[in-house]
Amino acid sequence: MSDYLVNLGANPSARKLVKSLGLPLPLPQKLSRGKGAWAPRPVDGRAVWVGLAGPADATVQSALGAAIPALGAEVALIGGGFDSAPWRQAGEGFGRTIVESDSAIDGEKAHALVIDATGARSVDDLRGLYTIGHGAVRSLSRCGRVVVVSRPPAQMGKPTEVAVQRALVGFAKSLSKELGPKGVTSNVLEVAAGAEDRLAGPLGFLLSARSAFVTGQILSVDARADGMPAGWDARPLDGQVALVTGAARGIGRATARRLAEEGAKVLVLDRPADAELLGEVAREVGGVAVAADITGEGAAQAILDAAGEHGLDIVVHNAGVTRDKTLGRMDDARWDLVMDVNLTAILQVEAAFDAAGTMRQGGRTIVMSSIAGIAGNMGQTNYAVSKAALVGWVAAMADQRASRGVTVNAIAPGFIETRLTDAIPVATREGARRLSALSQGGLPVDIAEAVVFLASPAALGVTGRTLRVCGGNFIGA
Amino acid sequence: MPVSIQSKQPRRAVIVAGARTPFQRAFTRLLKMDAIDLGAAAVRGLLERTELDRSEVDGVVWGGVIIPSSGPNVGREIGLEVGLPASAEAMTVSRACASGLQAVTLAAAAIERGEADVMIAGGGDSTSNAEVKMGQRFVHAMAPIALGKRLKPTDYLGVAAQLMPISEVLPQQPKVAERSTGELMGEAAEKMAKRNGITREAQDALAVASHRKAVQAIEAGLLADEIVSVEVPGGELVTSDGLVRADTSVEKLAKLRPVFDRKNGSLTAGNSSALTDGAAAVLVMSEEKAKALGYTPLAAFRSWSYVGVDPSDQLLIGPAIAMPQALDRAGMSLSDIDLVDMHEAFAAQVLCVLQALASNGWAKHRLDRDTAVGEVDMSHFNVLGGSLALGHPFAATGARMVTTMSRHLHRTGMQTALLGICAAGGLGAAAVLEAV
Repeated sequence: MSDYLVNLGANPSARKLVKSLGLPLPLPQKLSRGKGAWAPRPVDGRAVWVGLAGPADATVQSALGAAIPALGAEVALIGGGFDSAPWRQAGEGFGRTIVESDSAIDGEKAHALVIDATGARSVDDLRGLYTIGHGAVRSLSRCGRVVVVSRPPAQMGKPTEVAVQRALVGFAKSLSKELGPKGVTSNVLEVAAGAEDRLAGPLGFLLSARSAFVTGQILSVDARADGMPAGWDARPLDGQVALVTGAARGIGRATARRLAEEGAKVLVLDRPADAELLGEVAREVGGVAVAADITGEGAAQAILDAAGEHGLDIVVHNAGVTRDKTLGRMDDARWDLVMDVNLTAILQVEAAFDAAGTMRQGGRTIVMSSIAGIAGNMGQTNYAVSKAALVGWVAAMADQRASRGVTVNAIAPGFIETRLTDAIPVATREGARRLSALSQGGLPVDIAEAVVFLASPAALGVTGRTLRVCGGNFIGA
Repeated sequence: MPVSIQSKQPRRAVIVAGARTPFQRAFTRLLKMDAIDLGAAAVRGLLERTELDRSEVDGVVWGGVIIPSSGPNVGREIGLEVGLPASAEAMTVSRACASGLQAVTLAAAAIERGEADVMIAGGGDSTSNAEVKMGQRFVHAMAPIALGKRLKPTDYLGVAAQLMPISEVLPQQPKVAERSTGELMGEAAEKMAKRNGITREAQDALAVASHRKAVQAIEAGLLADEIVSVEVPGGELVTSDGLVRADTSVEKLAKLRPVFDRKNGSLTAGNSSALTDGAAAVLVMSEEKAKALGYTPLAAFRSWSYVGVDPSDQLLIGPAIAMPQALDRAGMSLSDIDLVDMHEAFAAQVLCVLQALASNGWAKHRLDRDTAVGEVDMSHFNVLGGSLALGHPFAATGARMVTTMSRHLHRTGMQTALLGICAAGGLGAAAVLEAV
C-alpha cells in the first residue's frame, strides 16, 4: 500500500539521478499532510499572496481580509486594486503585518496564492489571472496552494459575465495540472452572494495541509443551511456524536480515528464478521462498536440504541462494496448486493433516522460516492448506478434539511491506496495512480480529512455538493 | 467578550502597606539567599515598617515561579521563619510572572469572602538558586544504583549503556522556555516584535524611559519607603536596587547586539528585563480591621482579570485582553484611569500590547467590540519605572506593582490605576486599583 515512485522521489539523490538520466519516470511530490488534530491556525506564519482579477468586491474582500490573517498567514496583497483597510484591521487583530506590493515579491516563496475574481465581469478582467498568476506561480513552495475565489456563474446577469465566471474553472484546473508535479493544489472556491461570511472555513480547508489530495475542484459555498457561520478552530467536533459505517478498515477506520481526534464520540459500525477488527477500532478511538449488517432489518435500531437520547450530529455512510462484471456477464446477485449495500441501506437507515428525529439540529450527513459514479467505469454498471444515485440524493436532501441547519454532502474518492485497490492488477493500478494531476494515489486519511472538514461547523456553507478527493484525477473531471 | 461586572462585596479588602527587598541582578549580591530567605526578608521588613502585631496575621499567600524543592510551600516556610504564629495558615501559588499579583488578589478575595481579616501576600524568586536538573533519563538510569538492591558488575554496565549519548544526561541548564513549544520567552517576544512591526528604536526608547523614571523616583525618595535593607550571609548590607542605570541612553543601548536573533533581531539585554533576585510583600486587610487597628488604607481592588491565549501564537499578548476585561469588570473605560502600570518583560512586548490596546482591528477581531480600548497616555505610563529598570524577580513583580501604585495613588490623590502583566504559558493578568 505504498507508492514506490513517491518513495523514490522523496530520496533527493534518486530524484537527481532520474532527472539527470532523463528517465521517463514521473516523480510525484510527496504530499505534505496534516498531523493529528486541527491546529488553531492551519497556515501559521506562512506567506499567502492575494491578488485581484477584476474590480474588488467589498463584501468578499472584507470576508477574505478577516479570514486569512486569522488562519495565521503572513499576507501580501499583490498587484494593487485593493482597499487594504479590512486587511490591516485583521492584521492588527492577529498581529500580522500586511505587505502591499505591485507584483510577486522577488526572491521570496509563498505557500499560497489566492486570486479573488468575484468582481470579474469582462474578458479584460480575466487578464488579472494572467498578470497575477504569471508572476506568482513560480514562487509557490512545494505542496503550496492556489485558490481562485469566484461567484456561481448561474447567478450572473449577462451571458458574458456567466462566461467570465465559468472561465475561472478552466484556469484553476489547468494550474492544478501545471503545478501538480510540485504537489501544489489549485481549486476554485465559489461563493454565492450572501454567503461571504461562510467563506473562512472552506478557505481554511483549501489552504491547509488537510486538503493535500483535493485539486482541480470547485468548492461551492452558499447560505442555504441555517446556522451561525464559524471559522476554522481547534477541536471542531467537541461534544458531538458521529456514526461511521464500514469502519473496521481502510477509509472508514481512518475517518473514525480523525473524527475522534477532533473531539467526537464515534459509533463505529461494520459487519458482524469483522467484529474483532471493529472492536479494535472502537478501543482505539474510545468509541462504541456496533456490529451489524447495514442491510439487515435490525441495523437502524442498533444504531438508534447506540446513539441513545443524544442522537447523532454526524453520519458518515462509508460502507460499500464492489462486485464488478460487465453488464452482459453480470448475475442477479452482483447487481442486487451492490444496490442493497451502497444505496438501499443508506436510504433505509436515513428514513429510520428521519422517523426517530435522530439527526440533531446543525447535523452533518456525509456519504461516499465515487469517481465511478461521476465518470462511469468499465465493468461497474452496478457500482456506478449506486454511487451516481448518491450525487443526486445529497443535492435533493440538502434542500430538505437546510432549515434545520443540517448539511448533506458526498465525497467522491479517486484512487486511494487501500486493501481494495492493492488487489487491482498492476498495469491498471499504475494507470489509475498516474493519470492525475498529482501523479499518485491518495491515502485513506485524505478522505478522512475531507470528512472532518465537511462534518465541522466550518463547513456550514457547503451543502448538496459532491467533493472529489482525487488528486486531480483525469477521469470524469 | 461579555464579562460580568465584578459584584460588589459586602466587605472590602484594602491594601495597607507594602515592602520589598532591593532587586539585584541574578548571581550578584543576593546570590546566597534563596526564595525563602528573600521572602522572609521582605515580610520581616513589612512587619517592622507597619509595626503590626504578628498575632493579627490570619494567613500568608505567597507566589513563586522557581519553587525550591526543599520547601515547596514557600509561604509557610516564610511564616515560620519570621515568627508568625503557627496558626497563621499559608499557601504558595504559581502563575508564572503573574504569581505575585495572583497572591495579592487571592488574599483580597479571601478577605472579601470573610475567610480572613489580615493577610500577608506577595512573592519572590531567586533566579540565582534555580535548581540545576539532571535529565530524566539520567535519573531513571541511575535509580537502580542509588535505590536498588545488591548489584552485579554487569548491572553497572547496563546503566552506563543507558547514559549514552552523554549530552542527554548532562545537567540541564535552567532556561526560561515554554514547555509546550520549546520556545525561549525572548524568542517569542522577538517574534511578536517582528509580527507587529515594533522597531529596535522604539524598544530602546521605552527602556531608557523606564530607567529615567526609575532614577527620578529613587532620587525623589518615592521608592525608599517600600525597600527594606537586607543583610546577606557574610554580613553585607544590601540597601538599594542594583539594576537601575542613571547613565543609560538611547545611543548606548543602540550599540548592544541582539541576543535572541543575532542576525535580524531587535531584542537586546538593554531592552529585555534581566534575571533578578528579590521579593515583595503586601499587607492586605478588611477595611474595618484596618480602621480598628489604626491603619490608613492606601487603595483597594476594583477588579482583576486573568486570561489565557495560545502560547504558540503571541505568547505575551495576554494583557491586551486582560486589561480591557478588568476595565469592563470595573465598569470603567481607559479614560477613567489615572495611572497605567505594566510589567515590562520586554520593551517589545509592552509596545505590542499598547499597540493592540490602541487598535480598532484588535478590538474588532479579539475583543468583539467596535472601537479600540484606547491610546495609553505615556505621561501616565509606568511613572515610577518598570521591570526593565528595576528588575524582575518573577513572582515579586506583581506585588511590587500593587505596592508602588497603591502608595502613589495615596500620595498624589489620584483615583485609579490599571495594572497589566504578561506571563509564561500565554497568560495575561490585569487589575484596577482605586484610591481609598
